[in-house]
Amino acid sequence: MVKVKYDSVEKRYGDTIAVEDAEVTVEDGEFAVLLGPSGCGKTTTLRCLAGLTKPTDGNIFVDGTDITDVHPKNRNIAMVFQNFALYPHMTVGENIGYPLKIAGVSKEERDRRVEETADILQISELIDRSVGELSGGQRQRVALGRAIVREPAVFLMDEPLANLDAKLKMGMRTRIKRLQRELDVTTLYVTHDQEEAMSLGDKLIVMDKGNVQQVGTGDEIYHQPVNRFVAGFIGSPAMNFLEVEKDGAVVRPSIDGAEFEFELDDDIASAYGTDGTFTLGIRPEHVAVRTTENPRCIPGTVEVTEPLGNEQHIDITFGDLSSEDLQFTVTASGSLSVERGDTVWLEFEQEHLHAFEQSSGERIATEEIVQSKPNVPDS
Amino acid sequence: MATKPETDTPVFETPGRFEKLYNEYEGTKWSRVAIYGGLSMYLLWTLFPVYWMVTGSLKTREGLLTFPPQWIPLQMEISNYVVLFTQRPEFWRFILNSMIVTIATTIIATFLGACAAYGFVAFDWPYDLDFHLPFYILSTRFMPPIVVAIPIYVIFRDIALVNTLPGLILLYVMFNVPFVVWMMKGFFDEIPDSLVESAMIDGHTHLGAFFKIVLPLAKPGLFASGIFAMIITWNELLFALIITHSADAATLPVGLSSLITQYTIQWELISVAGTIAMIPVLIFAFIVRDELVRGFSMGVDG
Ligand SMILES: Nc1ncnc2c1ncn2[C@@H]1O[C@H](COP(=O)(O)OP(=O)(O)O)[C@@H](O)[C@H]1O
Ligand SMILES: [Mg+2]
Repeated sequence: MVKVKYDSVEKRYGDTIAVEDAEVTVEDGEFAVLLGPSGCGKTTTLRCLAGLTKPTDGNIFVDGTDITDVHPKNRNIAMVFQNFALYPHMTVGENIGYPLKIAGVSKEERDRRVEETADILQISELIDRSVGELSGGQRQRVALGRAIVREPAVFLMDEPLANLDAKLKMGMRTRIKRLQRELDVTTLYVTHDQEEAMSLGDKLIVMDKGNVQQVGTGDEIYHQPVNRFVAGFIGSPAMNFLEVEKDGAVVRPSIDGAEFEFELDDDIASAYGTDGTFTLGIRPEHVAVRTTENPRCIPGTVEVTEPLGNEQHIDITFGDLSSEDLQFTVTASGSLSVERGDTVWLEFEQEHLHAFEQSSGERIATEEIVQSKPNVPDS
Repeated sequence: MATKPETDTPVFETPGRFEKLYNEYEGTKWSRVAIYGGLSMYLLWTLFPVYWMVTGSLKTREGLLTFPPQWIPLQMEISNYVVLFTQRPEFWRFILNSMIVTIATTIIATFLGACAAYGFVAFDWPYDLDFHLPFYILSTRFMPPIVVAIPIYVIFRDIALVNTLPGLILLYVMFNVPFVVWMMKGFFDEIPDSLVESAMIDGHTHLGAFFKIVLPLAKPGLFASGIFAMIITWNELLFALIITHSADAATLPVGLSSLITQYTIQWELISVAGTIAMIPVLIFAFIVRDELVRGFSMGVDG
C-alpha cells in the first residue's frame, strides 16, 4: 500500500531549482532513504512532506489524501532534525511528552507514554534531566523519543546521525533500524552517507541536482546504476571509469597516450550494440590483480597501496599516463604483496562491467539491466 | 536564526580578550594597584552621589547644607519623609501615576516590540526590509526628543490626551518600542529555526510556537528590554512635564522638579523624593538580576 506519494513536486528559490519534478513513493511501513550529495535537494524534499516548505508546484499525498496545503501541525508527521531541536527550557520528559501535551492528552496518560518511550530508548533514568546536560547521543535519543511517542503516520529524519561521532553513529544506526522495524512506521530518512543509506534503507532514492536519479533497493542501485552519476556516487572506493572506443569486440581507451586495449566477451560486446565511444565502469572489487604477466590482462604500475587488514586498496596508473589522466583503484586480498612501483596485471570481470553513454551518462542497457530499471511509480 | 552544531567533545574555549588582558597584567603588583585603584575610583564616582542623596534625606536642612560637609549623617531623621507627604500629599498620587505608567508602558512596549522583532526575524522580507524597517524604527529615536514635543502636544490636545495617563502611556510606548525591537531582534536571531519548526510539527500553530517556545527562550532578552523600558519610563521628565500639569497624570519626576522653584530649592525633600524614586527600579533589577545578566550578555542557554 502506498503511504506517501510525491506527484511531480517542484521547489524553486528564485532561479535556483532545489527540487525538480520529484516522483517519489513510499510504501506503508517502508524505510526509504533519500541519498545524494550535499545541496542536491534532499532536505527540501523532506521538508515539503513535513509542511515546513511549500512546494512551488506539484502535490503530496499521504494515505491518498492531498496534504500539500495542510498545516504541519495537522499532518501527523514526526520529524527528527539534524541538530535535534530539543526544547532547551524543558526536561527530557517534557520534551518527549510535548506533542502529547499540545494534543491535549491527559497528564497520567502522557506520563505513561513518555515512560514507555523512554524505556524503549533506554533513557528512563534521564527523564528529569534538563536537556542541556545531555551528551549528543542522549539528545539524539530524546529527539527520537519525541518523534515516536505520538505514533505518527510518517516518520522523517534529516541526517540525524551527522552530528554524532563515528562510534556512536554505528550504535544509533542499528537502534534506528531496529526501532523502525519494531514500530513498523513508514520512514523517510535523509543522508549523504551512502554506507548509512545502504545499511538502513529498504528503498534508496538517489538524488542529484534536484532530480531523482534512481529508486531501488541498495543491491539494485549498487549493481545496476542507471547512470554515471549513481554509479560514481555509490560505492567506496568509487567505481573506476574509462572512456573507450569500441571496434567489434575490441575496446581501447580514447585517451591520448594510452597504449593498451582489451577484448570483450562476445555476448557483452553485442549487448553494447554498435561501435563507437562510450564510458566503461568497473568497481574496484571486480578487477582481479595478478603479479604475473597474462595476455588477457592490462599492465599497470602500483602508485599507492592502502592496506586494510583482510583487504587492500591499490591505486594503479597505466604506462606513461599520469594519475590525473587515468587512475584505477582496485580492491585486492590483503595477502597480495605489492608495493609502489611494482608492475601488476589487471583483469576486468566482464560480467560486472557497466557501460554508459558518453554524452548523457545513461546506462547502456543490456538485457538483464532492462529488467531491473528503476520502478517508476505508476500513477 | 542560527543553528549551533552540537558534538560530544567539549568545546575548547579560547580565553576572551579581556581575560587575556587580565592574565597578562594581574601578576605585577603595580598593575594590580592600577586595576583596583581604577575600579575604586569608578565606584566612588558612580556611588557617591547616590550615597549623598540617601544620607541627605536623613539629615536636617542645616545638616545637609553645612560646611565643611557632614560626610556621615549625625542623626537618622525620618521626619523629612513625613514632611514631604504632609506638605505635598499629591506625592502619593505622583508615585501611583508613575507606577501605572511605568508598568503599563513596560508590558505593552516589551510585548509589541517583541512581536515586531519576531516578525522581522522569522519571515522572509524582500529588499532587505528585515534590516531596513527595524533600522527605520530605531532611527525615530535619533533626533532630539524636544523636536517633536510641540507637534505631539498639539495632537494630544486635539484628541484630549493631554494630562491623561493613557496619553502618557501611548507616548512612552512609542519611545520604547524601538529599543525593544532592536534588542529582541538579536535574541530571536539566536533561537534556531528548527525549534519553531519542531514545535509546529509537534502540533503548534506558528503563533502558538511563538508564545510557548520562542518567548520562554527569549526570557532573558524580555527582562533586559523590559528593565530598559522601565528605567527610561520611570525617569522620563521632559515629556511628562509638557504633557501633564496636575496630579491627575503627573509622574514622580514632575513632582521632583516641582520642588525646585524660583525662590527656593528644597534639598532635603528632593533627597527624600529622589530616594523614593530610586527604590522600585533597584528592587526590580535585584529580583531579575540573574536573567538580566544573561540578557545583557545575549545568551540563550541550551
Ligand atoms: N531557504 C532557501 N532559500 C534559498 N535556497 C535554498 C533554501 N533552501 C535550500 N535552498 C537551495 O536548494 C538546494 C537544495 O538544498 P537542500 O534541500 O538543503 O539540499 P541537501 O539537503 O540535499 O543538502 C541548494 O542549492 C540550496 O542552496
Ligand atoms: Mg540537507
